[in-house]
Amino acid sequence: MIHKTVFEISQPGQHAYSLPKDYEAFTQFKPDEKLLRKDHIGLPEISELNLTRHFCELAACNVGIDNQFYPLGSCTMKLNPRINEWCASLPGFTRTHPLAPQDTIQGNLQVIVELIDILCKITGMSAGSLLPCAGAQGEYTGIKMIAEYHKKNGDTKRTKVLIPDDAHGTNPATAAMAGFTTVSIRTSSTGNLDIDHLKEMVSDRTAALMLTNPNTLGLFSTNITEIAKVVHEHGGLLYYDGANLNAIMNIVKPASMGFDVMHINLHKTFSTPHGGGGPGSGPVLCNEKLKKYLPIPRVEKIENHYKIIWDDIASIGRICSFHGNFGIYLRAYLYAKLHGHYGLRRIAEHAVLNANYLKALIGKYFTVPFPQPCMHEFVIQADCYLDQGVRAIDIAKRMLDYGVYAPTIYFPLIIKECMLIEPTESESKATLDRFIEIIEKIIDEIKENPELVQRAPFDKCVLRLDEVQAAKHPILKHSLT
Amino acid sequence: MDFISNQKVQIDAMLATLNINSIEKLFDCIPKELLNEKLQEDDGLSESEGMLLMQEIVAKNTFGNLTSYLGAGAYEHHVPALVGFICSKSEFLTSYTPYQAEASQGMLQAIFEFQSAICALTGMDVSNASLYDGATACAEALLMALRLNKDKNKVVIAGSLHPNYRAVVEQFLSSHQTKIEWIPFDNDGKLNLNTAKRLIDENTAAVLLQYPNFLGVIDDIAAVTAHAKSCNVLSVICANPLVYGLYASAKELGADIAVGDTQPFGLPLQYGGPYVGYITCSKELMRQLPGRIVGETVDLEGKRGFVLTLQAREQHIRREKATSNICTNQALAALASLVAILWYGKEGIKKLALTNYQRTAYLKSQLEAVNGIQTMGNAPFFNEFAISFGCSFNEVDAHFRTYGISPGVDLGQYFPQYKGMVLIAVTETKNKKQLDKYIEAAKTLLSQKTKREK
Repeated sequence: MIHKTVFEISQPGQHAYSLPKDYEAFTQFKPDEKLLRKDHIGLPEISELNLTRHFCELAACNVGIDNQFYPLGSCTMKLNPRINEWCASLPGFTRTHPLAPQDTIQGNLQVIVELIDILCKITGMSAGSLLPCAGAQGEYTGIKMIAEYHKKNGDTKRTKVLIPDDAHGTNPATAAMAGFTTVSIRTSSTGNLDIDHLKEMVSDRTAALMLTNPNTLGLFSTNITEIAKVVHEHGGLLYYDGANLNAIMNIVKPASMGFDVMHINLHKTFSTPHGGGGPGSGPVLCNEKLKKYLPIPRVEKIENHYKIIWDDIASIGRICSFHGNFGIYLRAYLYAKLHGHYGLRRIAEHAVLNANYLKALIGKYFTVPFPQPCMHEFVIQADCYLDQGVRAIDIAKRMLDYGVYAPTIYFPLIIKECMLIEPTESESKATLDRFIEIIEKIIDEIKENPELVQRAPFDKCVLRLDEVQAAKHPILKHSLT
Repeated sequence: MDFISNQKVQIDAMLATLNINSIEKLFDCIPKELLNEKLQEDDGLSESEGMLLMQEIVAKNTFGNLTSYLGAGAYEHHVPALVGFICSKSEFLTSYTPYQAEASQGMLQAIFEFQSAICALTGMDVSNASLYDGATACAEALLMALRLNKDKNKVVIAGSLHPNYRAVVEQFLSSHQTKIEWIPFDNDGKLNLNTAKRLIDENTAAVLLQYPNFLGVIDDIAAVTAHAKSCNVLSVICANPLVYGLYASAKELGADIAVGDTQPFGLPLQYGGPYVGYITCSKELMRQLPGRIVGETVDLEGKRGFVLTLQAREQHIRREKATSNICTNQALAALASLVAILWYGKEGIKKLALTNYQRTAYLKSQLEAVNGIQTMGNAPFFNEFAISFGCSFNEVDAHFRTYGISPGVDLGQYFPQYKGMVLIAVTETKNKKQLDKYIEAAKTLLSQKTKREK
């Protein structure tokens, strides 16, 4: 079913809006003619009913974790509890202006301070800021703090950031945006960071190493203490990409592993809905060494009162318009409170159990490059069906027909025909068993009729889409005809 | 409580499959000395206890009881009821970034429509899928302009840019040793055009102006962009998108890149976020845009569909050479803005913008008539203006609060020369009765002051 765009269902004169009563006292004021817009505004005209139906039709062509199993690796697609939405929509929160007098928003400030405390306890860090609007901005904030630390130490030659070759793309992009050059560190055949290569590349020019642990292959870096020692001995700092925190929450602290600064993705580990691409929230946490460089504004508790610190000369400064994605903090805070630290640890245990269970069953059908137990996610290679002309992308597309979302494919880049699978703790054994049945069916199809899989999906709103044409001849908005 | 589905029966069966007797076994790979101690006591809450906790906390917020005239980049507007309904639909709310296009056509088409709507408002050719907020959108626009002008390392920015945006722009440019020159503004809040023209030269990559500026003033932007064009300098306009319902579009003003925050459309204040940064540009510049972009394409049968496109700009492909590090953006908040923009539609947007202007003009003119109140001057404005009551901001705030009013933003906090001045924002949410109450409060403040001075 193909839907018209909202521009195509426009009907002259129709509208959904209503405006409050006007008064002669208002309408007597005429804006300066010279400043007025002369171009017409190319927006549609549409009634509320048609607008409602339009978006309901679009929703029917989309799936979320509420609708189906969503084993998208590195994205931690767990249940987004509805109580979080209830909380974030309380008018006492939604009506607060970012510049409201401090005595009128003590509840907001309490949430900020207490959520930072919870995150510090989980990570072993000593201070934090919720301001970064997403994981990548958390990375940026952390790396700028590291830059400031070296600068304040007069250590100006540290221009390089070391990044493993299996890292999220945001890591090198962040380092470059913060003015550093990047150095890629190899991953060994066992899936660990190649410590010899690290030793070769680390130097007195190293500002930091950015690391995810468990890494993007779903493996815990067993040599983490040694990695930290090597980097620290050379005067560099350790940045922890918290995208995979769900695996180790309240089991091992990033600070204990030797990390100096990190971010957490509240929209992954703390269940805030991903909303089809955001908003997220990427709080940054750090140890005593880096604390004074945290961005502003900050919030402090003084006896029973909360106070905003707008300025601090040592801080790296501001990173966003106001106080970050506050609406997301509310959801994450309540989620953490419901679980308690006890329940947060259970999350990690069950995320890892589910992943290992799925990995054990799936091994029959794919190449498993790293046979050791995984953490919350794992990689497989769909390279055994290349002879039949079937690639990872084909299998992924066929999964869509069977009512599950596809895993992350072709990431990490270092694994051939890679599929990265993350089931999360919320899924039941029955769902995982069904996923295996679906894979079994698809493998049978590959053997009997590979073209079927190559051309999938068939059961969605559209057939396989041509991405090459989209990039070659960009059509990026509705054009009025 | 937790949201884990599996219980003892399933857990035992899974452990048996794995040939282990406890979940702890799976963490054997972690060096023992690093492990936390296991917690014995369940310190969680039930759902009802969680609700009670949040009700206790929210009760400490009293701001909602005040009639607010705060703006300065975040405006109280009506949020159509439809917005919340659409955004809470599972299929949008709980989906991830649309990596599998065929199963994500709803969100992809919605983003395509968001891009189209933002282009319609600004008059620009191309929009991305969203950035974090207005401040980061300004910073990304300047980084984009610098990439397009690799031989130049200077930007010129209006000194009347929102001070928070200014701080974020300085943050992002600091890593690149970019020289920033600030255009001063005159006593009436208008940019000094002569200085602007002097600062913009052949070495400048871009000029960034705000519309209306932080002081609520509409500058002669076209004069600056025309000069910029003659010097081969890109013009970036940062605007409250609602202004485009009334005053000239970014395109009419000569923008090469137009940015801002869509918060006025469909997003509650919620203490500063989630909001939505938007960024648009002319067609020639599109390959330097940061972030996600949705494009139209066809499926195997030639039917229309939508995909994430021009991905060769992005971090997951280009890594350190990407146009930005942004990955997760503000998709659901952008959907909220889209629904609100469409709810107002072609005619409603114009009426909404006009009534915002007229209500602001009413309050401004009434206050100007009060003896002792001083305005900044007669520069054109939209939905915000600055005045002085002739006393400290704290006095003003305390007095208005007795009327249940939060009177505006303390300008002196940002600009020492404006100590005691109040920046007042008026939207369609304020009716005549409320505005008249503001005027009454202003009058009593001034008469008390006069009495005291006698």
